[in-house]
Amino acid sequence: MAPANKPKHHVVVGSGVAGSQAAATLRERDPDSRITIFTLSSLPFYNRYDLPKVFRGRQDWREFLVYPPSYYEEHRITLRRNCRVANVDGRRRVLALEHKEDVAFDTLLVASGGRAYLPEELSDFRLLMQRFASFTEAMGVRKQLPEGGHAVLLGGDMIGLDLARTLVDTGYRVSLVTGPHTFWPHEVSDAQRPVLLAALERMGVVLVDGVAAGGIAAIEEGARGMPARRVVFRDGSDLRGDVVMPFFGLVPSVEFMLGSGVDIERGLLVNEALRTTDEAIYAAGDVCQIWSDAERKYRFYYGWKNVRAMGELAARNMTGGDEPFRPAQDEQLEIRSDGWLHSPFWEYE
Amino acid sequence: MRAEAVRPPAAASVPEARSFTSDDPRDIAWVRQNVPCQATCPAGTNVPAYIRDIIEERYGHSYEINREANVLPGVLGRICSRPCESACRHGWPGNGDPVAICHLKRVAADLKDAGHRITEKLYAPSGKRVAIVGGGPAGVAAAHDLSLFGHDVVIVEREERPGGMLRYGIPEFRLPRQVLDVELHNALRLGVQLRTGVAVGSGAGEMPVSELLKGYDAVLLATGCAAPVALPLRGEWQGKDPAQELQGIEYGLDFLMQMHRGQPKQVGRRVAVVGAGFTALDCARVAVRLGAEEVTIHIRTAEEYIPATREEIFEAKREGVRIKGLRTPVGLRDDGQGRLAGIEFVQNRLGGWRTGGRRQAIAIDGSEFVEPCDTLIIAIGQQTVHDHLGVKVELDRHGNMRIGDDGMTSVGGLFAAGDYVRGASTVVEAVGHGRVIARRIDTWLMGRERRRQAVRIEPVQGPLRERAFDFIPRQHMPTAPLGERTRQLGREVETGMDRATALEEARRCYLCNLRYHIDVDRCIFCRACIDVAPRACIKLVSGVDPGEGGVGRLVETKEWNKVAAIWIDNNECIRCGACFAACPVHCISISRCQLVEVDN
Repeated sequence: MAPANKPKHHVVVGSGVAGSQAAATLRERDPDSRITIFTLSSLPFYNRYDLPKVFRGRQDWREFLVYPPSYYEEHRITLRRNCRVANVDGRRRVLALEHKEDVAFDTLLVASGGRAYLPEELSDFRLLMQRFASFTEAMGVRKQLPEGGHAVLLGGDMIGLDLARTLVDTGYRVSLVTGPHTFWPHEVSDAQRPVLLAALERMGVVLVDGVAAGGIAAIEEGARGMPARRVVFRDGSDLRGDVVMPFFGLVPSVEFMLGSGVDIERGLLVNEALRTTDEAIYAAGDVCQIWSDAERKYRFYYGWKNVRAMGELAARNMTGGDEPFRPAQDEQLEIRSDGWLHSPFWEYE
Repeated sequence: MRAEAVRPPAAASVPEARSFTSDDPRDIAWVRQNVPCQATCPAGTNVPAYIRDIIEERYGHSYEINREANVLPGVLGRICSRPCESACRHGWPGNGDPVAICHLKRVAADLKDAGHRITEKLYAPSGKRVAIVGGGPAGVAAAHDLSLFGHDVVIVEREERPGGMLRYGIPEFRLPRQVLDVELHNALRLGVQLRTGVAVGSGAGEMPVSELLKGYDAVLLATGCAAPVALPLRGEWQGKDPAQELQGIEYGLDFLMQMHRGQPKQVGRRVAVVGAGFTALDCARVAVRLGAEEVTIHIRTAEEYIPATREEIFEAKREGVRIKGLRTPVGLRDDGQGRLAGIEFVQNRLGGWRTGGRRQAIAIDGSEFVEPCDTLIIAIGQQTVHDHLGVKVELDRHGNMRIGDDGMTSVGGLFAAGDYVRGASTVVEAVGHGRVIARRIDTWLMGRERRRQAVRIEPVQGPLRERAFDFIPRQHMPTAPLGERTRQLGREVETGMDRATALEEARRCYLCNLRYHIDVDRCIFCRACIDVAPRACIKLVSGVDPGEGGVGRLVETKEWNKVAAIWIDNNECIRCGACFAACPVHCISISRCQLVEVDN
């Protein structure tokens, strides 16, 4: 604990929507404090929701930045890029970086987000699949996919479907291997599902029922003169494409918090004020499971508006507040008047 | 200045000496403190020694080193719970991932020459007779060691074949029976008589313990812990055995044992497994192989606290098993025709820590919910039962057999070992305990302790590893393709490391039994060793604080003019050898310190 006259050191792990919003709010509410953001990314905070726009001609990383590089200096926020947090010692209030540097904190906000979940049965084929979670990965897909080429999307989820609608709109072919994760994180009833799948087909996405095909048996490199990848199903059928991309939802990035003393189930367990079981450690964004008194369970809240609200609320509570989280986002998947599918998670500023 | 705890080595000036054996408790304590893998292994396996043999491609010798501590290296190299890896210095913060000690044990068993010679150190026949009830891991380990001591040993086993939990409780895809059969045979071939299909107890047709006590000099109970723990349900289900009330409910260990006795097993489309141990994981993976479409393990706390290895959890997930946390079953739903239709759970939050290092789960009022399923497998633990014994013995507060320091129960000549004494534990704990109790029985039979522990200390000419080895990532165990393994119940999932992979993994071992020492009389305090040390392992010392209890504390200093000595902190040391290579006056020496057993 810092002495009363010494500025506090607020440390934020993660420079996405939650972490960046939290840092901004921390600066407003605690002008004298030290604020440090650690991020794995080599870029400052940029808009990951806009990544499909690499297929609409935006291919300069600067166009994705949310703040100009001078923002951090002006707001006296230390942004440390390419830093992986190895572990956190909640008792000593110290986090260790992978390159063996220890950093002391007074309060810590974990906003490390989620990473794309790859089902364990597909892990053998990970090197044959393209990810789409960062600017570098998005540009990798852009390079790999020839003009008018064929993308095979596995799973679905709202990040994948957002990319799918951009791809079909810009002249690419998209095949989607559907499964239980297709509309993640929306909860879809058995009655709604065929209606929503039909909307996807109207959008121009070719659907392959992955469950009916017995699931994926293997992903292989394509033969010479054929598309670069081949997805083989257990029923013997196959699907060829120039890229194969997994979209099975997110898993919270919490590994570095194991042993920190805070409670973890799938994400960091936090109360409605976003405080973990350690009073100096908070969590916000896709990494935390928030206690819902109304639903009597811990649950995740997704979407840009929710994540931003969490970042702001966590910062307020780290600086003396004690307010509960209120969801800021509609979660209903709908079909627009033109027949296309629309998710509120696709609305961002 | 900072004070450091220190235990002055009794054999600090070893390098000039030839190898010798020390009884000094400080040397024994040094090994226990500095070789964490061996100290944590319930069987006391000399891990650095057998890994060193793998580096030298002496697989047979490596296997024999394992066998000195545990008679089932090929078995435990597949299914051990690996407490050694949790303690491995390579896994300490900042050092990376622990060495794959268990996989290397299997390497020794898999890659040794066919027909390799087993060495056994036999005592002359004693004329004493010992009966062991139970042919599981504790009973077999004890039988082997007692026969080495020269006693005539009989194993009385209820099942048709020996092996206990190993044969009847662990699926073949984790433990091929051929590996088990060979190692059981080797353990028992010193003249141990095996009487299978004989139940011990007070029931009709059973052999009473009292009769065994009359016919033998000592009797060891090692019958394990196989009675299922009931699921504590609420409301109308409270106090009832759900497996008796509804179709589609089984107890995990019974499910596995019946299957391994040859009884055909079936599961429904949606299988729920309740429990968080190896048995729960095994049941779930068996259910996948029996054709279940959805298999979910429901646990009270979180995946982080499942007492199984990360690799087992990963492989289960690869096979399609899902794990759902923070829930406790409180009720059941039926389909109106006497079949299970669903489970009612209550949502939990994490509480404090229970004794034994487990997390508490605290139910949240009003958070009940139902999940549909067709089959429920209850695998929340096992307990021991004693009412069949027919002799009156004292139990501890957990209902387990109480034994004294000599391993004996409250009945003279009646000993107990393994899970039967300690409750449900792991195979390696059972083997280790069987071995300990065998020695106690020998001491009691012979009236004196015939073996004791000592430390063999031998000089080593140079570091046995290179600094570059510290950067080798942990090598993965190859596995069978997913499509093949789930189609066959007996297809072994882990397929074993080849020589090249094993060598790479073995090189990662720090060989913690090497003790680095600086001869202060020859040191010129040039600090070259400190400059090259990758960790804060070499310390400058200003003096010794006598401390309490005869254990001195070295007082560390950063002030050059106060330095009185220089010292290698073997707890921090990763045995990279950089200091040894850098020393211009060769005042750093290395000795290998190994726990050994010697005759009294």
